[in-house]
Amino acid sequence: MVELRDVHMRFEEKKVLDSVSLKVEPQERLVIMGQSGSGKSTILRLILGTLRPDSGSIFFKQFEITRLSRRKLQQARRHIGMVYQYSALLSSRNVRDNVALPLEELTDKSRAEIDKIVDEKLELVGMGDTKDLLPEELSGGMRKRVALARALVLNPELLLLDEPSAGLDPVIASVIDELIISLSEKSKVTSITATHEMDSAFRIATRMAMLYQGKIIEEAKPEKFKHSKNPVVAQFVSGSTEGPILEGSLDAITKK
Amino acid sequence: MPNAEPPPVVIAEGVGHVTRYFLREVGSVFWLIVNTFEEAFERIQHGRVPFRAASFFRHAERAGVDSVPLVGLVSFFLGLTMALLTGYQLQRFGTERLIPGLVAIAFTRELGPLLTGIMVAARIGAAFTAELGTMQVSEEVEAIEAMGIGPLRFLVAPRMLALILLMPCLSTVSNIAAIFASSLVCKAYFSIAFPYFFDLVKDSLLIRDIITGIFKSLLFGLLIAAIACYRGLTVKGGAAGVGTSTTSSVVTAITAVIGFDTLYNVVYTTFYPT
Repeated sequence: MVELRDVHMRFEEKKVLDSVSLKVEPQERLVIMGQSGSGKSTILRLILGTLRPDSGSIFFKQFEITRLSRRKLQQARRHIGMVYQYSALLSSRNVRDNVALPLEELTDKSRAEIDKIVDEKLELVGMGDTKDLLPEELSGGMRKRVALARALVLNPELLLLDEPSAGLDPVIASVIDELIISLSEKSKVTSITATHEMDSAFRIATRMAMLYQGKIIEEAKPEKFKHSKNPVVAQFVSGSTEGPILEGSLDAITKK
Repeated sequence: MPNAEPPPVVIAEGVGHVTRYFLREVGSVFWLIVNTFEEAFERIQHGRVPFRAASFFRHAERAGVDSVPLVGLVSFFLGLTMALLTGYQLQRFGTERLIPGLVAIAFTRELGPLLTGIMVAARIGAAFTAELGTMQVSEEVEAIEAMGIGPLRFLVAPRMLALILLMPCLSTVSNIAAIFASSLVCKAYFSIAFPYFFDLVKDSLLIRDIITGIFKSLLFGLLIAAIACYRGLTVKGGAAGVGTSTTSSVVTAITAVIGFDTLYNVVYTTFYPT
């Protein structure tokens, strides 16, 4: 479904991705883990084509994202749904109009058909009674759920989720995780989630990958990942301050 | 004491840096216009409207209708001042009957589009940049792109079309307000009756002056919209970045309007010297 081949990416002087290769099979739920700023969101944006890698190739189905023209890229994106970390709902439009936007702009459906689909997707995420509210009137968790409804409105084959449960209370985070799992099982949606929330990651994932210093250092099923021998992965999973991740910087923090 | 003047190489390097930045910015604005038209026409080719009529009318109302009081009032005062100041000078030579033609030509051909351009750049250009800049920093623009919707035809095209079409209308408001103001001055201070005033205006104005003014307004509209949208879509650095870009947008758009007006006049008078 998705493949990254030897992808390199650098922002000015900082090397973000260093020869990253990754493959995602249909209906998989891959969770990419890593520290803040490690390049997890960059991978999602590269798959979506809103960023271009310095070198390497990215494939989504039959499309080679890195070589597509603007028009073809727009066509490919219609098969992908993206949920942003801060939801990215259009602040001037109410919930209904936010969810309806892709249908209004990209399909020939009538107003009645659009309303029916919008209702259905909002019900799916438990937000059916918020249609007339503006994003600013919603809580963080509600916004995330509306963003998820918007991402699902064109029935995408691939769902990209950037920190879907960050900043949410544990109950709402679980609700969102359950939604992602149920979508994958019922609607056969493939998903790639970037997160550093352990509980959420282990709940969602059918496979996990750890991004560290620009490289994928471990790829495994959740059970294997949890008991990884890799010291970086082990430290990240346990949340311990002892280990290679904070080497050097921990000394600097304690000295202060 | 060491010589404080920078060596010539440093100056040349600085000039080169500024020139490169300027050319890159001009190129980017140019490509924004080209890509916006391309995205809009592609959409039309597929038998769909590039943006919703409601979006166009919302921007047209804000940019055009809501700007009428400001443009009208400022032009009215300037028309008054111009008629008054030139009138007293011309009266010394007994040629005060030239005031109507002078004000009419000056505003129709030059001051109407220019003043309107400056006011619209400050009022609407700033609003466009702030609005798009805020959308950019909150990832709304990227979300639109991620859905497979062309952000240029969806966000830029309606704003651009609204300004292109509304600028000539606002320039006309400016011309009418200024000419009306000068007619009041002529009547009150120089005893030129209204019918005679408007006969003099009609005699002095050429169709060419009117077409020049309208053409300039159209181009100013395109220029202001393109600069404002470009600055908005390239905002970096959160809320502070939106503020910086908005200021930069207004300064750039006003400078561009005045610079373009000068260039237009130079070219125009070279080919049509009368």
